[in-house]
Amino acid sequence: LEGASGLYFPQNEYTETVYVGQPVGTPILQVHAMLDSDSERPHFYLCWLSSLRRPPYSSWFQLDIYTGVLSLNKTLEESDFALLYHTSRYVKKLILHAMVLPELTHRSKCANRNAPRIMLDFVNTTLPQCAQTDMKELCFPHRDTSNPHVRENRFPGALRQLRRLTRLNVCPNYTISYHVESDTPAPFAVNDNTTELVVTAPLDREESECYRLVLVCTVRQETIITREDIPLDVFVNDEDDNAPYVNGTDTADIVISFNRTKGGSFGSLFVFDRDLTPIYPIDQSHNKYVGTLLNSDPWIKETFDIKDTFSEKKASHGGIRETVHDYQLVLKRNLYVTENRTLYLDYLVNDTTYPGLEGTVMLHFNVTILPVPIRFANITHIFTLTRRASVYAQVGRVCVDHCLQIDGFGVTYRLEVPDKNVSADLLSCYAAISITQSSEGVWGLLYVNDSEALRRSDCQDLQYVVVAQEEHTQLEASTQIHVVLDGEASKAAQGGQQLQSCAEKRWRGDCESARGLGATTGRCQWRQGTQKAISEDYSTCSPDLRTCPDSVCDAVESKDMTICPQDCTKEPVIGGHERGLSGSGIKACHGTCYCFSEKCFCEIDPVEEVLCDDMCKTIIATAL
Amino acid sequence: AGGGGGRGQGCVLKQIHLNVTDLGLGYRSSEEMIFKYCSGPCRKSETNYDKILYNLVHNKKLPHKDTPPQACCRPIAFDDDLSFLDDSLVYHTVRKHSARKCGCV
Repeated sequence: LEGASGLYFPQNEYTETVYVGQPVGTPILQVHAMLDSDSERPHFYLCWLSSLRRPPYSSWFQLDIYTGVLSLNKTLEESDFALLYHTSRYVKKLILHAMVLPELTHRSKCANRNAPRIMLDFVNTTLPQCAQTDMKELCFPHRDTSNPHVRENRFPGALRQLRRLTRLNVCPNYTISYHVESDTPAPFAVNDNTTELVVTAPLDREESECYRLVLVCTVRQETIITREDIPLDVFVNDEDDNAPYVNGTDTADIVISFNRTKGGSFGSLFVFDRDLTPIYPIDQSHNKYVGTLLNSDPWIKETFDIKDTFSEKKASHGGIRETVHDYQLVLKRNLYVTENRTLYLDYLVNDTTYPGLEGTVMLHFNVTILPVPIRFANITHIFTLTRRASVYAQVGRVCVDHCLQIDGFGVTYRLEVPDKNVSADLLSCYAAISITQSSEGVWGLLYVNDSEALRRSDCQDLQYVVVAQEEHTQLEASTQIHVVLDGEASKAAQGGQQLQSCAEKRWRGDCESARGLGATTGRCQWRQGTQKAISEDYSTCSPDLRTCPDSVCDAVESKDMTICPQDCTKEPVIGGHERGLSGSGIKACHGTCYCFSEKCFCEIDPVEEVLCDDMCKTIIATAL
Repeated sequence: AGGGGGRGQGCVLKQIHLNVTDLGLGYRSSEEMIFKYCSGPCRKSETNYDKILYNLVHNKKLPHKDTPPQACCRPIAFDDDLSFLDDSLVYHTVRKHSARKCGCV
């Protein structure tokens, strides 16, 4: 960075108070710039953010080009106060900006946006006399809350003028001196000749991020010594002076098998950097890392990516903040189930703003992609089903091996009749069962499709072949399933009576004697809740308590809204309730949940409540 | 807005200050609300239709169980939704819970 100037203000705001009657030439405050080298000479200027809107008071002040002392260019009059329009009648705020350059200039527009703000309170009275000034006022500016920021690794020097220049002559008989205190050793001191706070050595942020100082002001009168102190935090600003390093391993061994979905991430390699990585402003390049995948293989480039997420943490020793980068391998596309290979990925991480030579780290990902066989476990699936089961009753479910781990490809299921040369009558028996895809895409759900066929005495136990097909490669696998029909076959058809929805039943007795859509046993099942408040364990009538209500509107339930509206309703619900997470169905209900078609109600049954009130509970308790 | 039946003067909007728990919907919350409801007689909105039906039932020309309900004082518009935080810090919104306007229907 040769040639570029490192001059900067350690403070971005200065405050003081000015009064009517202060004469021309009165010093107000002093700004300081931090230097890069002993030979650098700062030049201070007042500057304006916009040269068009220069305020009327801009000519009242002047900044000494060499010392940075701001002083009055004119004697402040009461008419000056009146000239300014502002809301307050007693105090008006004057805002100036300063800039520092290594050379002389005639420019008056601020060189960059970090020009510190000088805030002057213009008070419509004269400067208070010594008797009216308290000691704290003599020592420190009122309401000064700005803390200095010093860059690490820079040349030491003066940071701040401690004397209040406007009060130098208010109490001529007092002697005012300053010194600085600190609990831990800190490279700060007060120059007694200039009353400036000075940083005495270059700072290192990786050693200390903040110095907590106490500024002490001692006021000596003839016989009295008064001590006033204020705290001052000096912050150390970071620069990129540390190279990235790996703590532990630089190699990740990764096996990709069942989860092969686009966006899936694998492995985790950590790269540490003792410097900070700011996230604001966004265009800042400080300590920004650039990573390069060193493989030229087009297959690798279109399949894999490396994701860099970084975070800030406090180092275990000293609590200094540092950056941790986490590199993960990411799939850019779904991998086919047949893909099978081993590969090595090299990834070069470069800390682009580190000025030294060793600003890079090499990471290695050893990747093995295993093919996924589409097959069923070597067992015979036997499902027992009562002949009384209603249409949409769930029989069971099947899935290929490792189906719960599968991600990134879908499997579809279909039912086939093992022997196609059977009679038409027997073939119609096979219409009893159907299969559908679960919404997550890995299970096949078997359900009753034709309940009449179930009840026919000429329909005996049913054997099917389930064929699973992978969506991309069309790979297939099949397995035998055996549906055992349980119970008496009825000779006469029951007639196509319209089945009601179990969810309509509000009371246990009605529920358990009803035949409803989707009922596995042919009869609806009652769930008795125990809570009085809104709870997930609410009372309700369901066709199959294994699947309804379970807060999931599964593929069979969604075939007809009246099978399990408790899981599937999208309509507004009457009464106290909580909706399911996806916005459909009812997660929790107040009392009993019952539904007419899709319209559901959650309410405490008034009869039930009367049955056992507090009095009755007392009686039961006493009896027990 | 009372429709063909007209609006009974006795049917008016009333209000009561309640806790959310008083609603009996099972929500546990210490929040409070104004509940507005419709109440009052609907004699003024009676028509010849009501009179005839009454006479027919009274003279046993119609079975007793067919006695039609009289005009009722009911909300014809509802207040804005009620939202509140319950004791477990879950938000709930209750719709059509409180009357804005009443009519005999």
